[in-house]
Amino acid sequence: MDKSLKFYTYLVLILFAIVSIYPLFHVFITSFKQVDEYIENRVFPPAKWVLDNYRVGIEQGHLLSYFWNNAILIPAAMLFYLFVCVAAGFAFGRLRFRLRLPLFLATLFLMIFPQMLLSLQIFQICNKLYLTDTYLGVVLVWTAYFAPFGTYIMATYFSSIPYEIIESARVDGASTWRILTQIATPMALPMLGFLVIIGFQSMWNELPFSLLLLQSMEKRTVTLGIAMIQGQYGIPDPTRAAVIVVASFIPILVFLFFQKYITTGTFAGSLKG
Amino acid sequence: MALKKPNSTTQVKLDLDQLMAKNGLKPWKKKSLRAQESRDAYLLITPLMILTFVFILFPMVSNFVYSFTDWRGFGALNWIGFDNFRTMFQDERFWQSIKNTLILLLFIPMGVFIPLCLAALLRGGLKGWKFFRAVIYLPQILGYVILGMIFNLFLRSNGPLNSLLEMVGLQSWALDWLNRPLLALLSLGTVYSVILRIGFGTIYLLAAMGGVDEHLYEAARVDGAGWWTRFWHITLPSIRFNIEFLVVMSVIENVARAFSFIYTFSRGGPGYSTHTLEYSLYTLGFTNGRIGHASAWSVILFFICAAIAIMQIRLMRWNDG
Repeated sequence: MDKSLKFYTYLVLILFAIVSIYPLFHVFITSFKQVDEYIENRVFPPAKWVLDNYRVGIEQGHLLSYFWNNAILIPAAMLFYLFVCVAAGFAFGRLRFRLRLPLFLATLFLMIFPQMLLSLQIFQICNKLYLTDTYLGVVLVWTAYFAPFGTYIMATYFSSIPYEIIESARVDGASTWRILTQIATPMALPMLGFLVIIGFQSMWNELPFSLLLLQSMEKRTVTLGIAMIQGQYGIPDPTRAAVIVVASFIPILVFLFFQKYITTGTFAGSLKG
Repeated sequence: MALKKPNSTTQVKLDLDQLMAKNGLKPWKKKSLRAQESRDAYLLITPLMILTFVFILFPMVSNFVYSFTDWRGFGALNWIGFDNFRTMFQDERFWQSIKNTLILLLFIPMGVFIPLCLAALLRGGLKGWKFFRAVIYLPQILGYVILGMIFNLFLRSNGPLNSLLEMVGLQSWALDWLNRPLLALLSLGTVYSVILRIGFGTIYLLAAMGGVDEHLYEAARVDGAGWWTRFWHITLPSIRFNIEFLVVMSVIENVARAFSFIYTFSRGGPGYSTHTLEYSLYTLGFTNGRIGHASAWSVILFFICAAIAIMQIRLMRWNDG
């Protein structure tokens, strides 16, 4: 690459890095600013760094209990989600049955519909099944909505396992269940890690379903909790900023740990179709 | 479609025959093995199928049924024919939400073009790219609810963006980004359909460009083709599918995934000015409780999404050759 092109590339990159990171940076510095100072100084880092906003935000926003709720809800939902995706993904990817393609295409087709389109009716169904305001309801609805994509990923992966491995195990008398748990799933472990990340992101950030299903305040998830805080008036901006930073903590941690997974195109590659 | 077809059936049969012979199994066992495989397959997809049926398929069908009633969540079902649709088509808010959705779609070319340029610039590799990659991608990780809150804070009339503009002497540019109808919609489009697309788009297209045969570039370089010619005649045609895919993804994000972001970014306001069709379903169904009426709107959104889904699946198949 010649010199001038390199220079412009850096320039453009820096520009976009600023555009995409500056609002986040602003929220970060604002969260340490005294409410009075923010009125005068909106742009620069605080003259005096204080933690008051965090104290107020966490206490009045009940953030800790929301985190606790997530800690219960998301692992439970995750286990169920993994089970459904791996089982169905294996069947679609590596077993032969007559309705394989039609059912698989139908599942893919249903993936696109927005949550809001279904929510009104899901709410009524859950009401009839006594699932509103329960975590069981959220787990089932989340899995129903997110599993098709996970299944698609797993099916793609399982279909790349050589047939011979599976056939010879079968002829040796291994049941499908044993092939799945002892041969196929161990081979798919890296993909499972990826599935966990995708599932985690979708569940952690999910709003519409939890907004409608979890009515009582004690049951709110982090995302739902802060979305409700956003709707309240009279909260000073620095406190809001502190709430945002606290809520971002876990997703950013996940990002830092699994950055390689997420950004190297493994992610992009799997969406290639 | 990425789901690979089983190796040609004869091949598999042959393998199985050999394997069975080796293990001293009689051919008639093969049929029962096949039947067993199919039974197991149905068993394994049962959880997914039940969930899909109860929580996705059934709700969709219900939408159609309720759209012909004046159901409000309780009491008996009253059939009112096409009344809901008639009121809907006369409803100014319906047309506005359609118009808003369409205006948001106009931002998509920008949201694809910028990542394309960035990816093209980065194709040659660059020192420090890993850092930029992380930075550009970071917003993606936070989820729409948090992002909506961040950009809401950022664009408020007394927020940092306006302070910055005033500081550099552009007072007249310091507008009330979120509280003037058309401007709020344009802000939404710029942030949601352009800025928030950069991270994923760049990385996705870069990964796609990495798959282009390097020999093509070398041959072109030998022929004396410049950077631009190579981009136009090699890179672009090679990743055409990926660009189309990115466009379809962006359409889906706009039409069917924007609720969470709008909810914290602008709450659909001021007034109805940032309501997309999807967001309207929420206002209509949950704050007004007119489920039958909202179902009619859902039916329209269903057809729009179905059209996009068919487009997407055809695109994927076409790519498969």
